[in-house]
Amino acid sequence: MARVELKQVSKSFGSTDVIRDVSLSIEEGEFAVFVGPSGCGKSTLLRMIAGLEETSEGEIFIGGDDVTDEEPADRGVSMVFQSYALYPHMTVADNMSFGLRMAHRPKAEIKDKVERAAKILQLEEYLQRKPAQLSGGQRQRVAIGRAIVRDPKVFLFDEPLSNLDAELRVQMRVELAKLHRVLGNTMIYVTHDQTEALTMADRIVVLRSGRIEQIGTPGSLYQDPDNAFVAGFIGSPRMNFLTATALAGGRLAVGGREMDSPAQATLEPGRKLQLGLRPEHLDQNEGIDLEATVEFVEAMGSTSYVHATLATGETIIAERRSSQPRTGDKIILHFAPASARLFGDDGERFR
Amino acid sequence: MSGAGKRQRLALRIAAVPMGLLALSCLYPIFFAINNAFKTRDDYMRDRFGLATQPTFDNFVQAWSRAHLNEYFLNSVIATLGAVILLMVVSSMAGFALASLRFPYRRFLFAVILSSLMIPVQVVLVPFMRTMLALNLVNTHIGLILSYTAFFLPFSVYMMTAFYSGLPRELIEAARIDGAKLLQVWWHVMLPLGMPALVTLAILNTLSCWNDILISLLVMQKHRTLMVGISALKGQYSDQIPLFTSGIVIAAAPIVVLYILFQRRIVSGIAVGAVKG
Ligand SMILES: Nc1ncnc2c1ncn2[C@@H]1O[C@H](COP(=O)(O)OP(=O)(O)O)[C@@H](O)[C@H]1O
Ligand SMILES: [Mg+2]
Repeated sequence: MARVELKQVSKSFGSTDVIRDVSLSIEEGEFAVFVGPSGCGKSTLLRMIAGLEETSEGEIFIGGDDVTDEEPADRGVSMVFQSYALYPHMTVADNMSFGLRMAHRPKAEIKDKVERAAKILQLEEYLQRKPAQLSGGQRQRVAIGRAIVRDPKVFLFDEPLSNLDAELRVQMRVELAKLHRVLGNTMIYVTHDQTEALTMADRIVVLRSGRIEQIGTPGSLYQDPDNAFVAGFIGSPRMNFLTATALAGGRLAVGGREMDSPAQATLEPGRKLQLGLRPEHLDQNEGIDLEATVEFVEAMGSTSYVHATLATGETIIAERRSSQPRTGDKIILHFAPASARLFGDDGERFR
Repeated sequence: MSGAGKRQRLALRIAAVPMGLLALSCLYPIFFAINNAFKTRDDYMRDRFGLATQPTFDNFVQAWSRAHLNEYFLNSVIATLGAVILLMVVSSMAGFALASLRFPYRRFLFAVILSSLMIPVQVVLVPFMRTMLALNLVNTHIGLILSYTAFFLPFSVYMMTAFYSGLPRELIEAARIDGAKLLQVWWHVMLPLGMPALVTLAILNTLSCWNDILISLLVMQKHRTLMVGISALKGQYSDQIPLFTSGIVIAAAPIVVLYILFQRRIVSGIAVGAVKG
């Protein structure tokens, strides 16, 4: 168990900057998730913590020690790769014990640790099999087992679930969260899937183009995003952004209606803005009303998502929990002004 | 449907004729050699192409002991075995480094190795000989082993590099995180995973070393290898074809045994090389 601290780290491959001036600290025992669109540098940042990529600038601390120039093996980290990276020629037991064997631990200890990990991960029956004889989910568990037996200070996961089918993914998500509770180690988990981030994280780090956009608990990122990127990235279906114009006296014009601005900030009249509205906040019975024409309805069973067009021509997605309109219907979408989030046209948040 | 089937069958039958002739032209010399190896001298004089009437092992015994094939055989085994093992170890290490490690001038080094593939042995014979003489390696087994290794290494390194380039990088990274040092990564991960390609290389290199005449003629002037010995037999015993063919059978036997033992792996190994390379 250890705290992980990054101080102004940067990474460039040749002339392309992939990680730019990232500072953050992950507390002891925390489950931190790096999330962001594909190519934003999540894996690179994780690999820098693991020591698989050199840090171009800045410093990395694990458990108070400066590990910036340490070898991967000396950092006390274990990593689970997206491809699992199991040694194909070794049995499950040998895969799991490889790290301990490299460290020349006593045979009894190795056996004990492998058996304990196999028990936690329900792999006892498969210890003598080769990876090729296992299902995707079992391979995934072996990869996790290999990470567990070394009892690392920090677990690093790089999109460990993205090769599994949807059902198994949900199941493994729960198992990983349980595992974190049982083991209590610091975990850093990389994913491009905001649902995984929201469901698993103690704290989420949102990355874009190698920069941190926001760090916070799932709740705070969802409720109180710092900018339009985070607001749009976190939450599914994503937040609607309607163009709005500032009016005098803290009022806004949006979708052909006028409303009180949800932000305290004073904005000069005429300024172009974006109003962020989550689909679930458009299912009210009163508040600001927007008239819309239904284009398409996504029925999800208990709820449905209505894709509609406003009089202004903007498209909008709204949740409907009780009624289920049909394509072509005219509906009124109500929302409370306080549930809206206001952003500048450059994405900056106004509070 | 049935018309197409018939036409296909006909095409196969027509194709079978040249294929059969080809097979025959390969098989007949082998039959000729084995058949004559069992003939007495008189038997051979009477009928070169007929079957042996009084089969005898005399030729083998004579070739083995009196013509010193036993000695040559041992020289060949030592040189081939030594070179093949050395080639496997070195090409696997070099392939690992060239495919997976980052170091300066890696691409340049690989280009040099590739270009050395295109230089025929004959071109470098003089500087090669000078080097061997200067290092006092002429007429030693070590010298021959090193020479074979040097000449067959570029292709082996090229093939191992291509093979290892196809392996996921994460395997090496996982091993590094697991605390394996570079040599341990090679020994525990790269060497076993490279086996399909290495077995193919071992067989190809065994053939090359075993059948070599040119290099061993230069390096082992005093102690002959089997192939050089057999070539010499042709001159010394030109009137004793049965003795000569028995020598050929002795020389070919190990290769045939090797092929039978590894038949499946040779085919799959060559396929592996083809896909990855
Ligand atoms: N070894 C490398 N050499 C050059 N560019 C790289 C290398 N690794 C990653 N990149 C680049 O860095 C960026 C971030 O990559 P990565 O960290 O894998 O993104 P993510 O995991 O968020 O999808 C990408 O644009 C990628 O092309
Ligand atoms: Mg990635």
